[in-house]
Amino acid sequence: MTFQIELNGVNKYYGAFHALKDINLAIEEGTFVALVGPSGCGKSTLLRSLAGLEKITAGEMKIAGQRMNDVPPRKRDVAMVFQSYALYPHMTVEENLTYSLRIRGVKKAEARKAAEEVATTTGLSHLMKRFPRELSGGQRQRVAMSRAIIRHPKAFLFDEPLSNLDAALRVHMRKEIRALHDRLHATSVYVTHDQIEAMTMADHVVVMRDGVIEQQGRPLDLYDRPANRFVAGFIGSPAMNFIPAVVGEGGADALLDFGRTRARLALAARLTPGLAVTVGIRPEHISIVAAGEGAFDIPVGIVESTGSATYVTSATQPELTVVETGRGAVKSGDVIGLSIDPKQLHVFDAETGERIGTERPPVTAASPPRLHLAEGAR
Amino acid sequence: MKRFLSSVTDGSGFDIGLVLLPLAFLFVMSGLPLVYNVVMSFQEVDMFSLGSFARPFVGLKNYIDLFSQPETRPILLNTAIFVSASIAGQFLIGFGLALFFWVNFPGASWLRGLFLVSWVMPGLVVGAIWNWILSGDFGVLNFLLRETGAISGNIFWRSDPNYSLWAVIIANIWLGTSFNMILLSVGLSGIPKDLYEAAELDGANAFQRFWTITLPMMRSTIGAIIALGLIFTLQQFDLFAAITSGGPNNTSNVTQYWAWDLSFRQYDFAKGATISVIMIVFVMFASVVYVRSTRHEVRG
Repeated sequence: MTFQIELNGVNKYYGAFHALKDINLAIEEGTFVALVGPSGCGKSTLLRSLAGLEKITAGEMKIAGQRMNDVPPRKRDVAMVFQSYALYPHMTVEENLTYSLRIRGVKKAEARKAAEEVATTTGLSHLMKRFPRELSGGQRQRVAMSRAIIRHPKAFLFDEPLSNLDAALRVHMRKEIRALHDRLHATSVYVTHDQIEAMTMADHVVVMRDGVIEQQGRPLDLYDRPANRFVAGFIGSPAMNFIPAVVGEGGADALLDFGRTRARLALAARLTPGLAVTVGIRPEHISIVAAGEGAFDIPVGIVESTGSATYVTSATQPELTVVETGRGAVKSGDVIGLSIDPKQLHVFDAETGERIGTERPPVTAASPPRLHLAEGAR
Repeated sequence: MKRFLSSVTDGSGFDIGLVLLPLAFLFVMSGLPLVYNVVMSFQEVDMFSLGSFARPFVGLKNYIDLFSQPETRPILLNTAIFVSASIAGQFLIGFGLALFFWVNFPGASWLRGLFLVSWVMPGLVVGAIWNWILSGDFGVLNFLLRETGAISGNIFWRSDPNYSLWAVIIANIWLGTSFNMILLSVGLSGIPKDLYEAAELDGANAFQRFWTITLPMMRSTIGAIIALGLIFTLQQFDLFAAITSGGPNNTSNVTQYWAWDLSFRQYDFAKGATISVIMIVFVMFASVVYVRSTRHEVRG
């Protein structure tokens, strides 16, 4: 099995700054991969290295089985969609689309035909004679994508392409990009800082921090079994609750420390008694019951309602957030009981932040996975 | 009256006042002399009528006289050569330097700043120094050319009719290159870097990127520089005064020097004004190009 994109022990230094640390990644053809992480985590550097715009310091980088370390960008046959779109301002939409073809010496009529074909699929046909400055943000975005599509490259690279659009358009373009990917069966690498984009669009999510791949795998695997506290906190919205705790004497439960409030919570698996841990609970995995009827009681601090969901934040330290669908009857100052399924708990080592328990994440950065398209994508 | 005062203190009256002041200045200091000059070119002017405005109009006589003079054509040709060669030299060397410093090697901006030295030097001083460099018997330029084997005998740059105009052109190129370089550097740094990255990924090599991205993106800057260059070279006077004085036998004479020579040395003010009017036409043309290029800023 050859991979479309393969990174082995890739390192990148900017002077003394270690931007990418031992990156291993293998991407099968046709996979949509999202690189996600906070700003400065190295995701853009990794993408630019794939494009050839940055030179990697050590390691090996292959595209379609070919070693790419010293190949200049123009010979890598990858297309990139920039955050700023980077449309050529002095060219019309049509000239923007056909630029790469004209550079390659494709005949004018042929290039024009190709541009028209792409423009029909992306809905740009009526804008071909316009200049980029005469287009809206969404239209520019489409031109940038069409410019990539027209080349039939070995891989598409997206560098936060939606971050300049407003929220509604972003949700729309998210679906469009994914649909486009499914139609073209192209290999795509998509950089974003928005975990929702990563979760909804990608077949394979790579979570990065400080130049290191923290975890990679299928989106729901990352959600269900985060490898460490960072990934657990990064994936999912609203963010997971983290409560410091100590494993009880029998090893079957944990004592949660909410400052003045203490709570005892059953664990799904036995752990070493007395071990200091961090317990993670997703807000959507807690349900509110009457005081005294749940696993433990807690005073209510703030109640926010969006209409479809209610966010209840406890008056404890640390805070605990609960999401309830619909409109709850809970008011600030109430004492409520919380019911939690022990199977939905995540336990992390208090010191290292690594996940504890039998449920190991199925994929780690050390062993590149074989990836498969999500069902129904083909 | 009150309304007028209030419009001055906090309304459009203040804005109009701000505009009127420089307009009045421009009209008095530039507009009137310009019109006076044009009027003079249609009049008979001599030492005795210099003091009065009411001088006999002679129609196009000054123009006809001017073009019937044998030196007029060579001088106009000299001007054309001087302007185009100077602009071409300044622009090409300036662009080359701007591209060179754009690479941003260590010390690039420091070195670029050093180039501005030529810009702060008075033209007469530059002319004096170039006099030494171009000197026939012991000039540095001849020395270099001789040592490299480019020439066998000395070239008398300033007194040889074949070279006199080029002596001034060389000095003028040196004088104007840094101005071109700075403006072109500004233009270059205004091109977003991601355009080059996009073009690179689209398969363009360095040469193609220059032709398809750099040059078209620089169109307005280049237009402005050529227009300004035309104006600056048409007003270059000091170098002629310092290096050749238009000689020998008018072989390095150009319109702007000739106009001065006619008006203030031969006291033929009408002819001097006539030449100036011809130059005004060219400068107007350059100004239109300049205004148009700076108005059409390209950026999506």
